[in-house]
Amino acid sequence: MIAKTFKGGAHPPERKERTSELPIERVSPVKQVVIPINQHFGAPIQSLVKVGEQVRRGQKIADAEGRMTVPLHASVSGTVAKIESRPLANNLEGPCIVIEAGEVPGGDAFLPPLDPFACSKEEALARVREAGIVGMGGAGFPTHVKLAPTKPIAVVIANAAECEPFLTVDERTMIERPGDFVEGLAITMRIVGAPAGLIGLEENKASVIPGLEKAIAERGRGMDIQVKLLKTKYPQGGEKMLIVALTGKEVPSGGLPMDVGCVVQNVGTLVAMTEAFREGKPLVERALTITGGACSQPKNLLAPIGTLVSDIVASGAVRIAEEELGRVVFGGPMMGVAVPGYAIPLQKNSSGVLFMSRKEAAYFAEGPCIRCGRCMRACSCKLSPALLNGALKSGNLDEAEAIGVLDCVECGTCSFVCPAHIQLVQRFRVGKQLVRAKKQKEAKNAR
Amino acid sequence: MPAKPLLLSSSPHLFSAVTTRRIMLAVVLALLPATVFGVYLYGSRGLFLVAATIAAAVASEWLFRLALKREPSVGDCSALVTGLLLALTLPPSTPLWMAALGAVMAIVVAKEFFGGLGANPFNPALIGRAFLLMSFPAAMTSWHRPFAGIVDAASSATPLNLVKQGAPLAELFASVGAQDQGSFYWQLFLGNRSGSLGESSILLVLAGGLLLLALGVIQLWIPLTVLGSTALFSWLLGMDPLFALLSGGVVFGAFFMATDYATSPLTTKGKLIYGLAIGLVIALIRKLGGFPEGVTYGILVMNMISPFLDRLRMKKYGYVAPKKPAAAKEAAK
Repeated sequence: MIAKTFKGGAHPPERKERTSELPIERVSPVKQVVIPINQHFGAPIQSLVKVGEQVRRGQKIADAEGRMTVPLHASVSGTVAKIESRPLANNLEGPCIVIEAGEVPGGDAFLPPLDPFACSKEEALARVREAGIVGMGGAGFPTHVKLAPTKPIAVVIANAAECEPFLTVDERTMIERPGDFVEGLAITMRIVGAPAGLIGLEENKASVIPGLEKAIAERGRGMDIQVKLLKTKYPQGGEKMLIVALTGKEVPSGGLPMDVGCVVQNVGTLVAMTEAFREGKPLVERALTITGGACSQPKNLLAPIGTLVSDIVASGAVRIAEEELGRVVFGGPMMGVAVPGYAIPLQKNSSGVLFMSRKEAAYFAEGPCIRCGRCMRACSCKLSPALLNGALKSGNLDEAEAIGVLDCVECGTCSFVCPAHIQLVQRFRVGKQLVRAKKQKEAKNAR
Repeated sequence: MPAKPLLLSSSPHLFSAVTTRRIMLAVVLALLPATVFGVYLYGSRGLFLVAATIAAAVASEWLFRLALKREPSVGDCSALVTGLLLALTLPPSTPLWMAALGAVMAIVVAKEFFGGLGANPFNPALIGRAFLLMSFPAAMTSWHRPFAGIVDAASSATPLNLVKQGAPLAELFASVGAQDQGSFYWQLFLGNRSGSLGESSILLVLAGGLLLLALGVIQLWIPLTVLGSTALFSWLLGMDPLFALLSGGVVFGAFFMATDYATSPLTTKGKLIYGLAIGLVIALIRKLGGFPEGVTYGILVMNMISPFLDRLRMKKYGYVAPKKPAAAKEAAK
């Protein structure tokens, strides 16, 4: 099989070898969870429970009307202790429901199982929403919205690239639960009416292919599902890069994957869908990788949503070398968010937590641009970062927009390759806000 | 909780090991074969010349920055590269004070006056060379045969000089000790001729250039187009294309001068046009100009155009051609 890819990109050190052989372990029962209420991309939702109320695992504890909303479920049984604002993984504070774990009569409050291939499409979409499923790869986009596209879908792509260094949770999930993963893809294909399904994975995970082929034969429902190898290159798992590598089509600027007949789903999301139908289990826990140079005993773990990372460390599941610790990152090292501490709850989209050593987390001052062109060749969107940087530094927002700052996917490859350590993607993030604000102002003045 | 405060910054949290300094040192490494060969051809004089330009370049950058109370920048090793490049483009007999003056011009006027590394519109080493060529034309056009020592009696014209003067073929062949066309080309390729300190051995300059390509420091586009278009336009203008490449400094210029990051275009499209135009200017100067050699000015002239060539951006991912304004559509109906 010839590995497919996109133009550009870079090769950050992979560092996956420390956890790629470790089975996903369930964390020991936690005493409390701090569940952020708004974990999805879209409109905010409200708590349905009150302090002191008993809740069962899987019980809906927050919801709201509206298309761009996703309900939230208790990830452990117990008593609602507090509803208060807490620091979150995105470095903002947000309302959280704190549940003290305890025995509650009745046990888990899951939904009744539903056959995704026998029920109607509307019933299936309603189940996806009721199970609280969002994109677990990072963005937290409501899955029931993604699965109701307004354009015909030719192919569903399972995003198994896992191009972020350090993270191995998708790889482990495919090794340990290939059937649930493949069935999730078949369910998605059925819901969106796509005739074909593709599983795209980087060459460094080629060893999972035999297991996947077997799972396709057993659980693929006879659907047209193929495994495709991709070059190991960052950001191969970016939605736009994955689509162009596998289909040869580019998502139009400002458009969505459905504009080129694609729906892209993360590995964890597909497994969560299978569980939502087969077991009626809402999204109450997720697998993630905890690793990094300051993590002396890294692990792939399965933890309830809302588990504080500090509680996982305290339980001894992972060991941290405090004196070496330089940076804590939620997500991968290329796009993850650095946080000031780790008493922060896991969310539906937390694919990993990195404890980076001081050496790994070394920080460099910006030097002058030597115009070497490395960013130009690495940009996964071919946006000419060096020129964009110049335009933004001189405050020329029109030029920045013309070069395409709004098309930047913020993958950070430009900043990674820059020999002068210029904060390219960082400046583009700010530039995007400035250009959007300017456009809004202009639109307002035009009216 | 962590012993020391955690670092907070926007992603990415990993950085490539390739730094500005490492790139500059790779260029120095790639220039070493040609430098060592130059010293071999012209003895200790060659070594002194290299030492003088490097010392003057590094010292002038350090002093200039000190005087202006700016961050010292000699650590990036770019002044080292500029000094070395300048030395390799000078006649071996250039007086050391003169070479040092050229290096000061290159660093202070051509680079620091414009804001330092990356901000200079013209290639600093070539500005240094052009300055010396205009100020001291006699010293800058007196050449010496290899191994003869730097004495006035041993001065000898370069092959390009001889062609410019319309010398007969026999004299041209004799200038490198060759009997026929084949051995003449071969001697030129090996570098057994009079010329600038580091330009003469095409073999070693190519070896350095290939190293830069292999290390990913430069891309093939500029050297390829410069060499191809020099050969093409030389041929169109009635000159021997192979001789055009093997004589003079065009190979050295194509790999080490035209590829200078700060003064060449960023995009592939721009690089192709830039390289083609440099070759054209070189051929025109050699054919019609007052100088026998045109590499210096060929590159400097195109440095001027380089910022405009940056307007030829790549087609971005998912580019959609802008729709015509509604008014224009209405009018079209």
